[in-house]
Amino acid sequence: MEMRIKEHPILGVQEKEKEVTFFFDGQEIKGYEGEPIAAALKAAGFMVHRYTKKEHKPRGIFCAIGRCTDCVMVVDGKPNVRTCVTPLKEGMQIQTQDGVTALKQMK
Amino acid sequence: MKRYDLIIVGAGPSGLSAAVEAAKRGIQVVVFDENEKPGGQLFKQIHKFFGSKEHKAKIRGFRIGEDLLKEASECGVEVVLNATVIGLYLEKEVTVRIGDAVEHYKGDAIIVASGASENMVTFDGWTLPGVIGAGAAQTMMNLHGVKPGRKILMLGSGNVGLVVSFQLLQCGCDVVALVDAAPHIGGYGVHAAKVARTGVPFYLSHTIVKAEGEDRVTGVRIAEVDDKFQFIPGTEKHFEVDTICLAVGLSPMSQLLKMAGCKMEDNPKKGGQVPICDEMGRTSVEGVFVAGDVSGIEEASSAMIEGRIAGITAAEYLGYMDSIESGQRVKGHEEALEGLRQGMFAPKNRGKKIETTDEGIQISENLLKRGYIADDEIGRYPGIRQAAGVHPVMECTQNIPCNPCQDACPKGCISIGENITSLPIAVEGAECVGCGMCVASCSGQAIFLVDEQAGDGYASVTMPYEFLPLPEVGARGKGLGRDGRPVCEAEVLKVQTAKAFDQTHLLTVKVPVYMAMKARFFVAD
Amino acid sequence: MCKINDRSRNIGQYIPAPDDDMIICRCEEVTKGEIRRAVHAGLYTITEIRRYLRAGMGLCQGQTCAKLVKGIVAKELGVSPAELEPAGSRAPMRPIEMEVFGNERAQGR
Repeated sequence: MEMRIKEHPILGVQEKEKEVTFFFDGQEIKGYEGEPIAAALKAAGFMVHRYTKKEHKPRGIFCAIGRCTDCVMVVDGKPNVRTCVTPLKEGMQIQTQDGVTALKQMK
Repeated sequence: MKRYDLIIVGAGPSGLSAAVEAAKRGIQVVVFDENEKPGGQLFKQIHKFFGSKEHKAKIRGFRIGEDLLKEASECGVEVVLNATVIGLYLEKEVTVRIGDAVEHYKGDAIIVASGASENMVTFDGWTLPGVIGAGAAQTMMNLHGVKPGRKILMLGSGNVGLVVSFQLLQCGCDVVALVDAAPHIGGYGVHAAKVARTGVPFYLSHTIVKAEGEDRVTGVRIAEVDDKFQFIPGTEKHFEVDTICLAVGLSPMSQLLKMAGCKMEDNPKKGGQVPICDEMGRTSVEGVFVAGDVSGIEEASSAMIEGRIAGITAAEYLGYMDSIESGQRVKGHEEALEGLRQGMFAPKNRGKKIETTDEGIQISENLLKRGYIADDEIGRYPGIRQAAGVHPVMECTQNIPCNPCQDACPKGCISIGENITSLPIAVEGAECVGCGMCVASCSGQAIFLVDEQAGDGYASVTMPYEFLPLPEVGARGKGLGRDGRPVCEAEVLKVQTAKAFDQTHLLTVKVPVYMAMKARFFVAD
Repeated sequence: MCKINDRSRNIGQYIPAPDDDMIICRCEEVTKGEIRRAVHAGLYTITEIRRYLRAGMGLCQGQTCAKLVKGIVAKELGVSPAELEPAGSRAPMRPIEMEVFGNERAQGR
């Protein structure tokens, strides 16, 4: 995962909690427990968190501190969850949000 | 409803500092913070802070945060996290969302230290994934260890834009350009210079035309603007990027105070809507105090002092000390705060273009427009001196409140004097031993050790280096000029790492003699 | 009455601009053109604009767009943003589910 910073010149090797598996639109992905869902998705290279209700435009991380609410997704069935401030847990089901529901996946 | 003597909103630098001062006097104090971790933005600040010893200068922000947390816990401050204050009502009633419920609290006094939020600008495509705030970039890379992007364009040349650009470089991102619509760089010249010398081009009087991409950013177009901020046709430039970072200022997050009925004002010098308050942090509502960015955008260093003052003032209000004692206790803090509010970047000078230093030296126009001092400009500053043997060269050219270099030199080679904002002077006759403490202590990374006669026909330049991988002795590469362009062949002679340097490594490189005053960065081949 | 809000003052016609399609309020997807037209329709205060267009009334409660909206309205009215009264502040300051908002715990923790 090349988006992860392995060693930082000032912060050194950043310690992570244990590795967990979660699901993004059904796809199995690895991340670290306790890190924001948004960080795990970013590290895995996913940037689109939702499509807007009126214009159906893609949105992703914008403020990353829970203020702008642009990064909301459907988490374990619950919509409008701010993924930048919600810690990742083993087995979480994360879905791209479309308006206020989960995006229907094309088969 | 639960009652506290003092309720503080926000566990950032000002809120925690206020809590410490109050708790020291035996006040029952609780701090609510909506985040998972305390410290506000301090833990994202990995650079060394400016100021003097009393302002914790040359200590990195996150370490100051660690110390503050330790102090708070030793004083018995109760910090409640994941606790969002959602309302502040008459009689100082506070509603807080904790978990799945809303809880009610009453404070005999309230200190609001809610900080600031980022400003944004609009352009075609600004809602695309990949356009992020500079704060988001800092959060991703410095807290969560994830790179915000691979190729990044930064919009905004204030201190946040400059510092975050450098941090992006440190974590291995490629910063393709630093852009600002203003004609001059808004932040410290030293912050700009350390970015420019790595080769990042600056585009002042430029702004974003369009963020390109379908479902994420794939590129960006910028163009030059005239003095009315209108695009000049034919000046467009294109960059392939996956991320655009916005650092266009902060606004006080003062809504709670407005809700509480405090008299407000819109003050552009303070960054927007702020409560009207005195220098002690007293608002128009008795018992409601403010500290930090919520009362006017400044730095974390001043926020911490404002917090201390507000904590003492609240203690007096609550009857835990008399006005004589509080006056005495506040005095030192006020002086420290006054020290930080000096110089060219003082709040009172916001928006002004300053052309000359207090010493009467012309500010480098190149520094303001391109981020670096031109070779023919550097000689006019008092920190630059030609001398036999190894000696410090201080490329500090603006009056900012900062003086660790003066204390760092055990031999007295560097003098700033009484006035903390004066430019450092290379003291005649003092003998440099080449220890490098000044190089590592300079928060602006603006000090170099130069030895024009280091060896037969070559000179040595010792520079601060905060990147990975650290080059090894004997590594060959290019010496880069202040503008980030390769100017000569260079070879690493020495790499120094010490606890006292605090992660700033000292790289000594061998360059041709005529490059001693020009080569300021090193890239290995 | 505040001079800015004097509806008999002539603020000129609404003139379409090339960037009228620009999204300003990211949550409720309100464009610059909609805000400009609303001003010319007689909605001079930020509070009115919020109620009329829902700009700043979405999930983030105007955290991102408040300053932008203020700037657009001020420009349309020919005044400086600092002269405009900002929108009212009221609880809840952050997005909150109704079931949580309604779940009051009176005794504290």
